[in-house]
Amino acid sequence: MTQPAEHVSVQVEVNGRRYQRSVMARLTLSDFLRDELGLTGTKVGCEHGVCGACTILIDDEPARSCLMLTVQADGKKIRTVESLASGREMSPLQACFQKHHALQCGFCTAGFLMSATALLEEGQPTREDIVETLSGHYCRCTGYSPIIDAVEEAAAKEPS
Amino acid sequence: MSFPHSQSPSIAARSIGARVPRGDDPRLLTGRGQYLADIVLPGELHACFVRSSAAHARITRVTTDEARALDGVVAVWTGEDAAKFCEGIVGELEVEGCFATTMPLLARDIVRYVGEPVAVVVAESRYVAEDGCDLVDVDYEPLEPVLHPRSALEGGPSANEELPDNVALRGGKVLGDVEGAFNDAARVIEATFHSGRLSAGPMETRGVIASYDWTSRRLRLWTGSQMPHYIKYCLTAYLGFPENECEVLTPDTGGGFGQKAHIFPEEMLLPLLARELDRPVKWVEDRRENLMTATHAHEQFIDIAYAFDSDARATGVRIRATGDGGAYHQPPWSMGVEPWCTAMVTPTGVYDIPAADLTYEAAATNKTPIGAYRGVGYMAGTLVRECLMDDAARAFKLSPFDIRRRSVVREFPWTNPQGIVYDEGSWLQTIDELERMVDYPAFLERQAALRAEGRFIGLGLSVFVESSGESTAMGKAHDLGGIYHDTATVKMEPNGSVTVTIGLTTQGQGHRTTMAQVVADSLGVPLEAITVRAAESTTYGWGSGTVGSRGAVIAGGAVLRASNVIRTKLVALAASMLEADPADIDLVDGAAVVLGVPGSSVSIIDLATAVYFDQSAWPADFDPTLEATLAYDPARPIFSNGGHAMIVEVAPETGFVTVEKVFSVEDCGTVINPDIVEGQIRGGVVQGIGAALLERLVYDDSGQLVTTTLLDYHMPSMDFSPPFEIHHLETPSSHTPGGIKGMGESGLIAAPAAVLNAVNDALSHTGTVLHDIPITPEQVLRALRG
Repeated sequence: MTQPAEHVSVQVEVNGRRYQRSVMARLTLSDFLRDELGLTGTKVGCEHGVCGACTILIDDEPARSCLMLTVQADGKKIRTVESLASGREMSPLQACFQKHHALQCGFCTAGFLMSATALLEEGQPTREDIVETLSGHYCRCTGYSPIIDAVEEAAAKEPS
Repeated sequence: MSFPHSQSPSIAARSIGARVPRGDDPRLLTGRGQYLADIVLPGELHACFVRSSAAHARITRVTTDEARALDGVVAVWTGEDAAKFCEGIVGELEVEGCFATTMPLLARDIVRYVGEPVAVVVAESRYVAEDGCDLVDVDYEPLEPVLHPRSALEGGPSANEELPDNVALRGGKVLGDVEGAFNDAARVIEATFHSGRLSAGPMETRGVIASYDWTSRRLRLWTGSQMPHYIKYCLTAYLGFPENECEVLTPDTGGGFGQKAHIFPEEMLLPLLARELDRPVKWVEDRRENLMTATHAHEQFIDIAYAFDSDARATGVRIRATGDGGAYHQPPWSMGVEPWCTAMVTPTGVYDIPAADLTYEAAATNKTPIGAYRGVGYMAGTLVRECLMDDAARAFKLSPFDIRRRSVVREFPWTNPQGIVYDEGSWLQTIDELERMVDYPAFLERQAALRAEGRFIGLGLSVFVESSGESTAMGKAHDLGGIYHDTATVKMEPNGSVTVTIGLTTQGQGHRTTMAQVVADSLGVPLEAITVRAAESTTYGWGSGTVGSRGAVIAGGAVLRASNVIRTKLVALAASMLEADPADIDLVDGAAVVLGVPGSSVSIIDLATAVYFDQSAWPADFDPTLEATLAYDPARPIFSNGGHAMIVEVAPETGFVTVEKVFSVEDCGTVINPDIVEGQIRGGVVQGIGAALLERLVYDDSGQLVTTTLLDYHMPSMDFSPPFEIHHLETPSSHTPGGIKGMGESGLIAAPAAVLNAVNDALSHTGTVLHDIPITPEQVLRALRG
């Protein structure tokens, strides 16, 4: 059996770039992204899978990177908040967040953006869909309604 | 006494008042924010803490051999090791009847709450540091835990032997003829309230990085503190780090809400470890630690009674506020500030109540120390005052608006029985405006119609006055010690761009944007030409802390004063260049213009360039320094006011409460940026809904904290978030820059009372009145089922 501190080889694609690394079997995916790849846009808020700050997309599905081991992502395609802007232009969703003042401290924001990105890619969410999906994320600053407004406006802009 | 740094220059509001988008946002939205855990120093070590598993116990043995022997572990310190450098942090509140405690950096001999740090393991990686903690063995001999504050004050075992009778704070005042008011009362309305134990719950937990260079004796400490200059003071005063070589840096910070406005043992230990181990040391708190140890908040038991005359006017108040303080005073706010503020500041609120009997007390208990959280003391005080107002409304058969109008102060300046002077306010207008917003007759109709269908909605009202812009004058008005002032530096460079540094840190409040708006209006330069650095390091400016709804007022005042020095020079230079009287020059839209002389202008860029490079343009005796640092501290205490009305529905099947809509009125004087003010309101109100309906830190009978994840400590999520209707009243202060008042705490101060009142209104047919928060579904169901 593999020991927790033993190293294991993993291959992942992150934001369109392929990586092959030897990592500790017990290394969480969030620590891998942040510490090994330097992608610190993904935040760790609770390490219990509750707050949603660490949410990333794995094969286009939202996942809590604090609850996954890096080895579980072997062979998968990962997207993080760093992938959202195109060149030097923020995505429509990011622009709507700024417009609606949908972030204050910004610590939870990457998680919201990633879940909302997946939701927008699925189709045209209603306000109820947005609330249901994003209720798995905590924000302590905004009181949420600006986030709902931002995602709703981004949904209206999304080419269907 | 008047000092120059209390005078704020006038300013024309142009950018002020606009919904300027935040300049920080693109950086934060693209994952470029740099929060504490994102900073990596070469060669850094990682610290992890062994924390007490017992509420109250004698430590009989700490075994660290196995941990020390683990590959990758560099050091293990226990209480003895830490005590060689520092006996502990002394905490107290500077008011009558407060008794100090000393909080050790690591517990020695006795642990006094679950989560208290007992040992620290430092290792090459966080993973190994955690492994090391698992190998530290601590033996405890249990002592009786002290868990209830009111019985603790009556005697029995001590929670902390420094306070043998468990009294950490006890005092009060009787003002006016309280006996007479109660003897002559047509009615006395009274109740006992319990306001539950809360965590501020910032999304980013605490964390510290320390780096020390023995060659220069230079210490650099990164922490997401709301009070970096105070942290620096503690590092020099307690630990002896040289002031001139000690720098506290505050990176992007994921919320603070008062929790990060304290000095913590971890912030003192890390610099010692970095110095002794000669390598940088990092500690990032995990969520369990945050819920267990990063100060708790707001828990009080409060007895309160109001005397009313036959016209339903409040004539007197009696209050006894008892704080459940935890094991130590957490400096600087201590366990005292919560009940002290509730008893001494809030019982009269916006009402003209001539007599007050005020008692405050805080008990030491074997729980996590109580500290500040948004609206400290004000939230519980507003809860009890406003809920009794609604109880009185029911007793007198008046509407919640009418009962408040009977007693509300209508003329200013007004001095309350505590001697605090309120210069201005829109206290009556707030009540009137809320009544209009909720359309009260229509609400009553809908309530009756729904009740007939077996659905229960309720309306709750809560109005407040909030001390804002915490200042020396505010402290004096409240018989509190403390000198406050904060500085800002404004510097204009040859191309006319402006760099501003302020002594206040920011945790998401958007100070970089609002302060840029102030500078834009002072200097007539576009926002794009202004960069604001918000206390990124104690190297810049002096700051008394981002606390007490003071950011906009205090930073705004300092920035405006410093900016005005630059403005005066630009005006003098422009007057010389345009051959005009300086009194006729205005700075607007990037240029100095001569009023009344169209076409006579010079651009700010040309002025700045001339200051640096063209001596021939200067007037006589011109000093070309385009950089100024000035302090600000308002001459008088500043108060904002407002109110919330909420409509809730209680579900008869489940007892769940849903907030259907929030109506908010806020008067923070001149609004710099409505987006930011409304963001503060919504965020604070939703925290208040959490406090009223969801959030509670729970201890079991042995003093174990049982709510140690965010699954157990339930903060509001998006499905709890109500729609808002926000209305701004603007009653400018005559003493602050442009009339600004602070408002960062108002949402949380007044929202819980509105929720509790709305639930009681929804349950009014049952005869049950609830007085405790959080309101649980069980309580609601019990009320509905009789």
